[in-house]
Parts: sequence; structure tokens; C-alpha cells
Amino acid sequence: MSDLNTTLVFTAGLIASSIIAIAVGIAYSLILPGIERKVQARIQQRIGPPILTPGWWSVLKFMYKSKTEPIAQMPRFYKSLVYFGIAIVAFLFLFTTPYWWSVLGWGSILGIAGLLKLEEVLYVFMGSQSQSILSATMPVPDLAKGSKWVGIRREFIEQHSADRTLKMMAIGSIPLYLALIVPFVAARSVMLSNVILVQNAGYHSAPWYGIPLPSSPILFTLPGALAAIVYFLGFIMIMNEKPFSILKAKIDVIEGGVLEYAANLRASYYIMRNLLMFALSSIFVTIFLGIPFDPFTPSMMLLNMLLSLILPVAMSALVAFSPILTFRQIYPTTIGLSALGVLAMILSVSI
Amino acid sequence: MTSAMDQKSTQNKDAEKVIEKELSFGPVHPALIEPYRIRLFVNDEIVEDCEININMAYRGIEKLFDGLPVEKALLIAERVCGICSHVHAWNAVRVIEGGLGIHVPERADYIRVLTHEFQRITSHLIFFGHAFEVVGHETFAMRSFLLRESFMDLLQYLGGNRVMPSVPIIGGIRPRADLTEALKKVILERCDQFEVKYADYVRRAVEDPVVMSRLEGIGFMTKDEAIKWHATGPTGRASGWDYDLRKTMKEYKPFDFNVIVLPEGDTKTRVVARALEVLECLKIIRQAVKNLPEGPVANRDWTAKEMKYTEAYDETYRGELMHSYSLDQQGLVRNYKIRTPTITNLAAMEQACIGDHVTEAILTIASCDPCLTCCTRTELVDNQTKRSRFMTEYEIVNKYGWRR
Repeated sequence: MSDLNTTLVFTAGLIASSIIAIAVGIAYSLILPGIERKVQARIQQRIGPPILTPGWWSVLKFMYKSKTEPIAQMPRFYKSLVYFGIAIVAFLFLFTTPYWWSVLGWGSILGIAGLLKLEEVLYVFMGSQSQSILSATMPVPDLAKGSKWVGIRREFIEQHSADRTLKMMAIGSIPLYLALIVPFVAARSVMLSNVILVQNAGYHSAPWYGIPLPSSPILFTLPGALAAIVYFLGFIMIMNEKPFSILKAKIDVIEGGVLEYAANLRASYYIMRNLLMFALSSIFVTIFLGIPFDPFTPSMMLLNMLLSLILPVAMSALVAFSPILTFRQIYPTTIGLSALGVLAMILSVSI
Repeated sequence: MTSAMDQKSTQNKDAEKVIEKELSFGPVHPALIEPYRIRLFVNDEIVEDCEININMAYRGIEKLFDGLPVEKALLIAERVCGICSHVHAWNAVRVIEGGLGIHVPERADYIRVLTHEFQRITSHLIFFGHAFEVVGHETFAMRSFLLRESFMDLLQYLGGNRVMPSVPIIGGIRPRADLTEALKKVILERCDQFEVKYADYVRRAVEDPVVMSRLEGIGFMTKDEAIKWHATGPTGRASGWDYDLRKTMKEYKPFDFNVIVLPEGDTKTRVVARALEVLECLKIIRQAVKNLPEGPVANRDWTAKEMKYTEAYDETYRGELMHSYSLDQQGLVRNYKIRTPTITNLAAMEQACIGDHVTEAILTIASCDPCLTCCTRTELVDNQTKRSRFMTEYEIVNKYGWRR
């Protein structure tokens, strides 16, 4: 009976924690693009949009736009991908909240890395499905009789973006995973709870109103600092932002696989993208500083949210000063970053 | 015989080449500032061949000239392009001035050159803005447009309008565009202020290793290729082809300036060539203001009469520009023909982007500074079959009697 009660209390706590985390996470994540755009605008000596416009109001606006049917090969599948994306990112975020740490081992490096990989795969599906009018099927009489090349397979730009996604999956995401592993290697465990324990010993025993600050954050060690740099650049790669936004380079593939998401689907895509940005920033604060997003410890939750601004703000500054890199630059950059990640991992063994 | 053999071997080589796929962009595309179609034939990310189709924005502007009194026709000439409006107006009046031997006062020539160089600077700064936008560096793109404002203001002070200053008229310039002492002072001050900011801007762009890594080593065009495809203007000069019509124009004789010729021939060089040209423009502007001769600004002593088909060439911001027309017995314009620099640069663009990555190919095309709407020409549409086609020059001459 007592086991049943414990299970029921735990399940109720899990559900409540998840609802709070998702509600707060989505609400907060929709403020981040506004901050991002504001920082970029200030660097470019512009005023920039109001903080709530690129996130909140654009999502609300797109929700009420008239719906358009994608020209994708399998429209229903294509439309469902964005909802899968939201679910994947939501679980990725939830797995880093304390209640989920003890559920089937999902609060571990395996849970995080697995979901991140799934999220990357989504872009391949999106790219291979989408067939917007902006490339191969645009009604333009461009097939000249005198052309040197006749009968060549014409590819949609989104499909080309899917090809690029595969390359980025193969090499571009390695730095992020290497950086993710470093705190776990330092804690000699795959579980998030142990990573927090090593950095913030007082957290597990603190009351709900307490402010258990970390005593030895891994960020302030040499391997931690190296891994943080690699994580930051890996974060930009996963977010497909400049300088690593080759999947959605405006000058050729425009938006890549998400090109055909309009109206409510575009709003959902924004939610997915912004929640991913917040989730990855929150994971950074959790594993490198030992401050988890705990819905039942308000001080830690607020501190995590505040510190989660570091990566988006740094990314905005970098975006303002960066061109889009092509694979000519991405390959050597990734190899260099991976080498730095491996070095950080080796050094973290000695912590 | 040798060239025929070379041609044959090229064809065979092309026939053997295997192309994996075609990627096509435009004419509706957020990166293209004008409507045109690019077909890239690629293997993985590498561009093996390129076709550019420009027949998207045909305006029939040459036909509009036909039968108009020459003064009215010249107002249309300025509207051929919004970026190089002055050079079209200027070259249009140079045709009749050359054909009828109309004398132009020296002071007017100086002010025409001054306006020309103002617009060259604004055009090159638009180019930087567009090139950096294509590179993905928004900050540099926006700073470029910010810098451009100084000279847009000066164009407005001079001609009364930022985009269409309408400075030249037949036999001189409009009296309202004459330089006052106050305006001379403003121009010199603006040039000094601009030069400081511009030098800082260029230094930051050139010293940025990430930006330069995007520009270096792509879009190669050799001097021979530049000459073969007649890539005029900074595009050709960045491949080592020392060809600048300003050195042969009588209006530029009093001015001391250097023609920027760089041998490398890649995308970075095309950007750097324009960056250095802006400094030469400043040099010409200062000379024009300081050495401005006294005297009238317009010669009204002329009448429109029959004129044979006459051509005039000018070194515009993108390359060589040709205007040509004849006047009938009543002084009305006939057979107006314009060849903008992009017409000849197009083939060079297609050639230069071979071997680039897809993303770089668009940048290479942009680095040749295309202005496509200005160069789109006659297209025939058959109402019955709904098919359209271009006419060759031979067909046009045969059907409509141009140049007769």
C-alpha cells in the first residue's frame, strides 16, 4: 500500500512537474528570439523589433493565418514531422528536469544524445518531403532546346538541403556530443543526477525554498571551459544558425526542409525551434554549472532560466558578425572542434 | 584549324561529363534582388555548369524611345536603371552631341563627371551590401548601406533627387545642378568624413579571416576568359584585363586617377577591385570640385535634325555601356539600342562559377555585379501557340528594319 502511495505521489509529481516545465519552457523560449534579434540589431546600429514580436506575436499571428496545404510528397507525414519535433524537444527538455532523472534512466547522456539525434533526423525527412514551388516546379520556360544539358534529374532545393543535413549529421554534430560527454566523464557516471551531485552537493538535500548554489561547477575547470566552447559552437550547429546555417542558407536553399511550413505549421515550427534553443541552453546550465531547471525549486528554476540567456545572447553576437560557412570551411572547423572536444574529454578524466 | 580542334575536344569532354542533378533557383527567390533564373548543374555540391536565364522583366524600353522628340526620349533613358541612372542619361546625350557635333562647356563636363563618380560610389556600395548579404554577413551589408547615404544625400543636393538626379541635358547640364561655393564645401567635407569611415569599413572587411575565407579561392576567371567573354568593368579588371573606357574619354582627360587592375581573378579580387575604385572616385571628385572651371553650364545653340546612326560608349559602374540611335528628318528618335554591361558580363558569370560549391556560385554571380532588368531585351510571344522566344539581332534587323 505504501509502495502504491509512493508511486502515485511520484506519478502526480512527475505530471505536475512536466506540465509546469513545459508551460514555463515554451512561454520563456518564445521570448528568446526577441532578445536574439534585439542584440543583433543593436550590433548593426538598428533599433530592432520589440522583444515579444519575433517569438510570441509571430507565433500567435501564424496560428490564425489561413492554412495552406504543402506540396510535399506525403503531406500528412510532412505536417506531422513538426509535431514530432515539438514532442522530441519537449522530452529532451523534460529529461533534464529532476523528476525525470529516475524514470527508466532517461535523465542521462543517452536520453539527451538520443533525442538530439532524432531531432536532427527530422530535418532529413522534412527536406526529402518538401517540394515548394520555388525551385524545380516553378512555371518558367527555362528548358531551352539548345541547352547543353537535357534530361538531367531536377532536384528540389529542399532535397538538396536534406543532403546537407546528412552531412551535418555525419560530421557537424560531433562537437556537441563530445562536449556533452565531458561533464559525465568528470562525474564518472552517465546519469544527470550524479553530474549535479559532483558540482552541487547541497542540491539534493535542499528544501524547496532554498538556493543551493554549486560549489564546484565544471565550467570553471580547464576541460569544462574547453568543452563549453565546443558546446557553444555545437549548439549553433544544431540550431542551424549562422555561421553553420548551410542547411537553410537563404541564398540557395532558402529555409531548407521547413520551407513549406506555413500558418499554424510555421507557428509550430517556431515553437519547436525556440524550445530547442531553450532546452539546449538549459542543459548547458544544468551540466556545466550544476543548476538544474527544477519546477519545484523556484530559485533554481529562475536561476537556470536567467543563465540560459548566455548561449542565445552569445549566439546572436556571433550571428551578427558571421557569414554563412560552406562545407569548405565547415569540415576543417568541425574537425578542429572535435579535436578540442576530445582533448577536453581526456583532460576531464583527471578531474 | 587548331581552334576547331580545341572546340571539338571541349564538346567531347562535356559529353563525357556526368552530371548528377540540376538545381534551379528563381525567378522568385529571396536571395535574388532581380527576377532571373539560375540553373546549376551539380555533382554533390560542386557546380559543373551554369545557365542564367534573364528574360523575366522585359519592359520594352527601347521601343518606347521610338518616334519621341529627342529631349523627351532622354528622360526615359535615365529610367533604364535606378542605380546607374546618371550614366544612361549622360551617355544618351553623348550620342546626339557626338552625332551632331554639339559643343559642351567644360564646366558642364566637370559636373557630369562629378555626378558620374558620385553614382559610381553609391553603386559600388550597393554591390558591397548585396555581396555581403549573399555571404550572409548582415552587419557589413547594413554598414555599407549606411555609408552610401552620404553620397545619396550629395546626389540630392546636386540634382534635386537621390535616385534620378537628371543632371545632363543636351549641350550641358541643367542649371539647377550647377555647383555653388557652399555645395563645393559640403562635398569636400563629406568626402573627407566618408573616406575615414570607408577606410575603416574596408579594413575590417578585408582583415576578417572568416569573411575572406568565403571570398578567397572561388569564382576564378582568367584574363583570357575575361577578354573572351568581354567581361568589362571591375569584373574584367579584377582578372588582370586593363580595360577602362574612362582613360579614352575626353571628359576624363583633365583628371588624374589610376585604373585598378588586379591579376588574381577570384571573387575576393572582384570585391577588392571595387573597394579600391571607390578611393579613385574620391580622388576624381576632389579634383572636379577644386579645379571646376568658370563659365556657362549649357549650350543651347543646337537644333535636332537628321542624324545617322551614332554610338556612344561610357565606362559605367559595372562595365562598358553603349547607347545608340539615329534621328529622322523631324528630329525624332529612331532605332534606339542600348547594350548594358551585364549583357556581356553574363557569359563570364556563367563561366566563373564552374567549380564552386552551390552556395559559392551564387556569390560568384553576385560578385560580377549583375543588373539584369536593365539588360533584358526583346522577346516575342506567339499568341496562338503561347510560345515565347528571343530574336537574334539579324532577325530584328530583317523584321523591323533597325539600323536601316
